[in-house]
Amino acid sequence: MKKIAYLCLLLAATAANAQTGKSLRFVNHTEFGGLFGRVKYDNPYTGNQEQVDSKTSLTVQTFNGLQLNRRLSAGVTLGMDWYKAALLNPIAGGVRYDLAGRKNVQLFGTLDAGYAFAWFHDDSEGFDTKGGLMVNPGLGMKVGKPGSAAFTLALTYKRQEAHVTKAPLWDQKERFEDRVYNRLALRLGINF
Amino acid sequence: MKPKLLLVCVVAWLCWSCNDQCKETRVVRRFSNVTYSLMELRTQVKAESPRSLVQPGKMYVKGKYLYVNEIKKGIHIIDNGNPASPKFITFINIPGNGDIAVRDNILYADSYSDLVSIDITDPTAPKEVGRVKNVFQTGTFDGGSWGLNESIGAISDQNVEWVEETVTVNCEDNISPGSWWRGWLFADRAFLSSASSASPQSSGSTTGQGGSMARFALDRNFLYAVGQSQMHLFKIDKPSQPVDFKTINLGWGIETIFPYNNKLFIGSSSGMFIYDNIDPAEPKQLSMFQHGRACDPVVVSGGIAYVTLRTGTACGGGQNQLDLVDVSNPSAPQLIKSYQMENPHGLSIDFPTLFLCEGEHGLKVFDVSERFSVDKNQLAHFKDMHAYDVISLGKTLLLIGEDGFYQYDSSNPKDLRLLSKIPVGKAI
Repeated sequence: MKKIAYLCLLLAATAANAQTGKSLRFVNHTEFGGLFGRVKYDNPYTGNQEQVDSKTSLTVQTFNGLQLNRRLSAGVTLGMDWYKAALLNPIAGGVRYDLAGRKNVQLFGTLDAGYAFAWFHDDSEGFDTKGGLMVNPGLGMKVGKPGSAAFTLALTYKRQEAHVTKAPLWDQKERFEDRVYNRLALRLGINF
Repeated sequence: MKPKLLLVCVVAWLCWSCNDQCKETRVVRRFSNVTYSLMELRTQVKAESPRSLVQPGKMYVKGKYLYVNEIKKGIHIIDNGNPASPKFITFINIPGNGDIAVRDNILYADSYSDLVSIDITDPTAPKEVGRVKNVFQTGTFDGGSWGLNESIGAISDQNVEWVEETVTVNCEDNISPGSWWRGWLFADRAFLSSASSASPQSSGSTTGQGGSMARFALDRNFLYAVGQSQMHLFKIDKPSQPVDFKTINLGWGIETIFPYNNKLFIGSSSGMFIYDNIDPAEPKQLSMFQHGRACDPVVVSGGIAYVTLRTGTACGGGQNQLDLVDVSNPSAPQLIKSYQMENPHGLSIDFPTLFLCEGEHGLKVFDVSERFSVDKNQLAHFKDMHAYDVISLGKTLLLIGEDGFYQYDSSNPKDLRLLSKIPVGKAI
């Protein structure tokens, strides 16, 4: 609940900001890419030896917002992340800020923070997957003429929480998993 | 230069720190071994002030009194004169107790290896009046087993406790490990606590009611107690002084005993034995109805045995079903029909109404007058409760579940009305 309230606050702030400026321009930034990471765990099938696996997941997201001033735009980011055992839909407040650069190439900062839902996730029997808080800060490069569409390449860090209630095994009476996905997100996108 | 260096640092840090962190927390059963001296255990049977339910086991009813076993600890005596407000009267401390039977004013209880008889003429001050020593060799409680070591006079027991452990997992083991073990937790619990009734009454003296999961049964001048592989007969001509009369070997995995119409229906993990009991001192095996390996409480009414099979590691097996077995010819029991259930536990019949506990899936009520279409005559399914154990007393229904003991007005089986509830853990 707290998380949702936080999200609403962010949206409200964005909307409030939107009304202060004059002739605000709509901004869309749609990206797709990969979430790269690792996991280190005790493999129960090899006598609890520690094992490290690499992980890759597909991610898409679209940021829709308003250009608040020459550098800053703010809005809402909707996404979809296909983790191996969870399909999550983050809904976040987001900002994009142009940091530096020449006319055609801009370095920009990006930040999305919100909550991911597991609406489209399908659990097997006895399991219940819930999403969690998400934060995704990073840097990106924008290539294209100012005022028209541009290509982007962004390198960000994504932290996504999730909670899974699992069916207990034979000698257990309760079982659940708290997940934190820590991923490097590399995304290509277009911005206009 | 500086921002570039910073950028490199940030990227490097990101790459290093991108580890998914997944922690699985589970509540797991742990066993610890303990040894008790029999000499000490035998001094511990005594009346204590009433206390709250912690881990209720089997129920037993006689007259207005209700006896609820506290697994391995003793027996609560509850005055149920007014089912709307049952009152705890006394707690009898009996180490290693799991079963109860009452004849007149004598309560029989097991205490690890011993059978204890307790005078309950004054339920506020029960006292031990007799004891048969070293009759039971082994037993299980809540999945942990105990054994008698006669040479040194000790009981080697396993205490069971639930501990929370957290392990690092790979974030993607979401595969359901199949359904064979689901609900096992309740299976084992019910193994110790389920009961039901079809009034296995006999002879002149007054006997109480146990249930389909009881290991004790009274018939005429005998108390039958089934252990894991044996049936013990105790002669109770003099009720306060039971005498070890005979032991019959039955084979491994004996779970329940249900006397009905001069027959003993013995549920084992591999099937149902039917013993002829016309001469109570000489039970004779008539037949065995074999089914898959599973836990199997039995109740009998009108020539039909109602057998439930459920899955669980305590019992093995992979079936969850209700079997109707024609036992009108006890030498050759015949299957009438099998019905798929979710996780059936104790059951109770008040013909034509069958009450069936489904563990975490609640309580089901069936009209069994049409024996080939029991599943089509489900009268009600109460899902908002955990049900392990049920005793039907005609107009009243006693039900025990994970969180407490319930009493219902069952005059209309389709619409049970809650009369009272004793929650587990509530202070008196």
